Amino acid sequence: MNSASKKNHRSICFAGLLICGLLLFSSFFSLHNTVRNSFRFPYKKAGLTERQAAAHLLSRFTYGATPGQIDAVIKEGLENWFQKQLDARLPDDSLNRLLSGYDALKLSNAEVAAIYPKGGQALRMAVKEGVISKDSVKPDNKTYRELLQNYMQEKGLKSQQELFRQLISQKILKAAYGNNQLQEVMTSFWFNHFNVSITKSDCAEFIPAYERDVIRPNSLGKFSDLLLATAKSPAMLYFLDNFSSSGSNNKAQATQSSVKNKQATTLQTQMAASADRLPMMVDNKVQNAKKTQGLNENYAREVMELHTLGVDGGYTQQDVTQAARVLTGWSVYPTGSYGQAGKNALDKMDADQLKKRGYVHEGDFLFNPNRHDNGEKMVLGKHFGPDGGYEEGVQLLNMLAHHPSAAKFVCGKLAVRFVSDKPPQSLINKMAETFKNKDGDIKQVLITMVSAPEFWSTSSVREKTKSPFELTIAAVRSLNADIQEPYQLYNWINKMGEKMYYYQAPTGFPDKGQYWINTGALLNRMNFGLALASGRIPGVRVDLMALNNHHEPESSQAALVTYSKIIMPERNLEQTIKRLTPMLNDPNLVKKVEDASAKAAPPQKDMMQEGTAMTAGNNVLGITYERKGKGNYMAKQKTGGNNSLLAQVVGVIIGSPEYQRR
Amino acid sequence: MLSRRGFLKAGGLTLFGVGLMGGIPAFLAEAAASMKVESPYKKKKTLVCIFQRGAMDGLMAVTPFTYQYLKEARPTLFMSAAKGAGGSPLIDLDGRFGLHPSMKAFEPVFREKRLGIVHGIGSPNPTRSHFDAQDYMESGTPFNKGTSSGWLNRAVGLLGHDALTPFSAVSLTSSMPRSFYGDNPAVAINNLQDFAIQMRGNQAGANLAAKSFEDLYDQTASGLLKDTGKESFEAMKILQKTDIKNYKPSNNVVYPSSAIGNSLKQIAQLIRMDVGLEVAFAESNGWDTHFNQGTENGVFARNVADLSNSIMAFWTDLGAYQDDVTVMTMTEFGRTVHQNGTGGTDHGRASCNFILGNDVNGGLVHGNVQPLTVENLEDGRDLKVTTDFRSVFSEVADKHLKITNDHALFPDWSGNKIGVMKA
Repeated sequence: MNSASKKNHRSICFAGLLICGLLLFSSFFSLHNTVRNSFRFPYKKAGLTERQAAAHLLSRFTYGATPGQIDAVIKEGLENWFQKQLDARLPDDSLNRLLSGYDALKLSNAEVAAIYPKGGQALRMAVKEGVISKDSVKPDNKTYRELLQNYMQEKGLKSQQELFRQLISQKILKAAYGNNQLQEVMTSFWFNHFNVSITKSDCAEFIPAYERDVIRPNSLGKFSDLLLATAKSPAMLYFLDNFSSSGSNNKAQATQSSVKNKQATTLQTQMAASADRLPMMVDNKVQNAKKTQGLNENYAREVMELHTLGVDGGYTQQDVTQAARVLTGWSVYPTGSYGQAGKNALDKMDADQLKKRGYVHEGDFLFNPNRHDNGEKMVLGKHFGPDGGYEEGVQLLNMLAHHPSAAKFVCGKLAVRFVSDKPPQSLINKMAETFKNKDGDIKQVLITMVSAPEFWSTSSVREKTKSPFELTIAAVRSLNADIQEPYQLYNWINKMGEKMYYYQAPTGFPDKGQYWINTGALLNRMNFGLALASGRIPGVRVDLMALNNHHEPESSQAALVTYSKIIMPERNLEQTIKRLTPMLNDPNLVKKVEDASAKAAPPQKDMMQEGTAMTAGNNVLGITYERKGKGNYMAKQKTGGNNSLLAQVVGVIIGSPEYQRR
Repeated sequence: MLSRRGFLKAGGLTLFGVGLMGGIPAFLAEAAASMKVESPYKKKKTLVCIFQRGAMDGLMAVTPFTYQYLKEARPTLFMSAAKGAGGSPLIDLDGRFGLHPSMKAFEPVFREKRLGIVHGIGSPNPTRSHFDAQDYMESGTPFNKGTSSGWLNRAVGLLGHDALTPFSAVSLTSSMPRSFYGDNPAVAINNLQDFAIQMRGNQAGANLAAKSFEDLYDQTASGLLKDTGKESFEAMKILQKTDIKNYKPSNNVVYPSSAIGNSLKQIAQLIRMDVGLEVAFAESNGWDTHFNQGTENGVFARNVADLSNSIMAFWTDLGAYQDDVTVMTMTEFGRTVHQNGTGGTDHGRASCNFILGNDVNGGLVHGNVQPLTVENLEDGRDLKVTTDFRSVFSEVADKHLKITNDHALFPDWSGNKIGVMKA
């Protein structure tokens, strides 16, 4: 980039920030950025042009380029664009306006618990209050359902389904319209890395706040902060059961000799440990749990296997058991009516008293010293305790976050997400070095990755397969679609095989093309393209003519070329165009489609009068027009859909193999 | 990767290629007439698994009715096998266990020794969480959450041959069940009719689009997309050759119009079309009966009627294919011996399951249900798990699908089989 264009860029930057009215503060950052932004992308050496490099960059760090975005990134400078994405401070006013319609998004966990009771909970309340007689509770009894609905309305209660609908909708809108794209991509990445699932009802209600407060704010920070935040979140504490894990406070038992005993952890002891959780699992007797004793290893195992070290990261079953002991007492501050008794007791103590007794209460997290195993432990050769309290858990997580195996494992996953399903080991090693030297700074790791020639190698370009979510959002962005009902898109994402937030295993979705591409899913991808382009997804509008500045292509062949370039910029489209052309030139087929189109959407009277240029003869694409606003015409979209050949061409492009790649 | 390609490498393609050239392939036409025909490839066995989500009350489905303790623990839920006591009694299977009267459809196959029951089956992990218990049962590793694959997906990998067609493993669910997670090819599809390029009200457009897609995928440089694309279109054409929508079950069978009935009907279609189905999965919901469970009527009775009628419709529809098919039900745990305060039962431990097939050691209630006394209960409240679910699942997989590598199918498990299948 030459100095003139850099200067130019900086003045544009200034002007924009002036408008924001944040002159002093922001200009400081802007200057600061330019200084900090010392990295250069080596794409030229890899044989990519600047345009190709910009396209690759966008394919990796956004949910897909919007029309014209490649030009914008080139104008801004690739490195500058990337730095801004790392900073993740771009204003998102229009997105925020869209999100303001979703009232659950800013609620605390306690508020969520109060407004969106779990399945069956509202019913139990209504029965308890005598609003509904318990004998009437039968699946086919309509009266009790109506009573329940009225009861919930009166009490201001809403169904949990509505909470999840809002969670999913905000994710779709942020990915589609947010300016801080990299932050959103990283949020998806880390959510999947630290997966929790709505399918587990104990943890489901905490998931919106988990993504909002735990994952997103830490998604470009330090790995150790992210790990600690997940460890303390109610969603994770419930998902992997650590909330219930407790130790015996017997110090005598917790010496070296007990280390040996624990080594002999057998099925029986595991079973006994879990059996102790029994009262917690049954219905709502959570309060009885304080009497229960028992170690639960689930979180301790997964934090090593899935979150930090990787399955071959060099830990043993003994390390798992010992780590579980370190993390006993890490639990959830009681929320909702069920934890009331415990909460009252805790609330009576002021902060000093709590601290004196060894409690740690931060937001929804509670360290309960009475459930903590005070004894001595050893994990991966490091001693913890005795009497380490809450701090020894923090030390353990810090040790795991900084372990060389974690650097390799986490960087390997990042490289798989951003480079290819089988990234070169040399690249992973470079990233892992940065991870170790820069205290697990995720931004620095990403900078190392993008500064490496491996990232730009032709064997990485377009080597990833879009996941169903990525395909959906990319398509929406490619077509500048107007999303009124985001949840309608979720139905498609689910159909194509990515039921987000519901993936049951703590592993998260596998990040590889082979997982996403199977026969049923592939046909649904094609159907999705057709449905989106022809306006058959309710609440999602596309204006295909607007994409081409309302110029109607002169022929179906021209439409194919024009729209292929708009939707898939910087790709070799020769094959796509070559393969599709003969079909578009088949007069029989075209006529059939036109007939169908005419049947589905009869021309408007209005159009017949005003559409002088659009005689049947040159309306080659079968598009019907209606008047809209100040003389603008747009391709018609009725509920029956837009059957024009143009819509089909675009649908086929979205469903084409080339578009499945990124 | 390798296994998926079997369809393209081996006889599959030529078979379907011939079929597609003109009209309805002979083997499909004949299949539609319920005639079993020799396929060019060796006919494979099919295992159909049904997960009863929510935890079925095994003590009500198959009641050990001789125990006074149970009668007292369930004052309004206990049903008697004694005739003439009013209402429908339990169906006395062997003087000790009684089948719920709403499952009378099962009685003939039990008496013919095709239906086996295992009682006291469950997981060694005593969790009473639906989520955890289902997760453990479906991954097949009751003490390890991080297992990425499901046991049925591993089973597909252990069949000893490449997947013959895209329909080798099919789940009749809208999303992939945990049992099917993994690297081996599997398809989750709620409705076989969705297996097509669709443009509502515009068949010409759909045809054009389908042709376009087929050509594009045929030409793409990505091996994964190219091969899967090819499979998809072949699969689509196979299904299009038969009238899925107006499927006529054989033997004038009428399936219950329920979710499980509908799923089993579609599985029967795939089996009768000889498209290489080897592992099928379906779900039955609504078993979490905390409230007003009912006895001979009520929600539980409706559920078991639906389940047993659906399975029997499926079995009858199979006709000549019965020898190749085994059906197995499973549920995450059982329910408390004592009824609760709301006319239902809470989360317990062991339940029972049903296995239907001509190579099943049927006509017996297998397992080891100890006399119901408080001392014999787990935690003083629940029917003990006396048979590890893995011993039954692995035996069925072994005898029906010839999967003998138990260690690969169920890592961390080494136990004995209990003889639910014929030796």
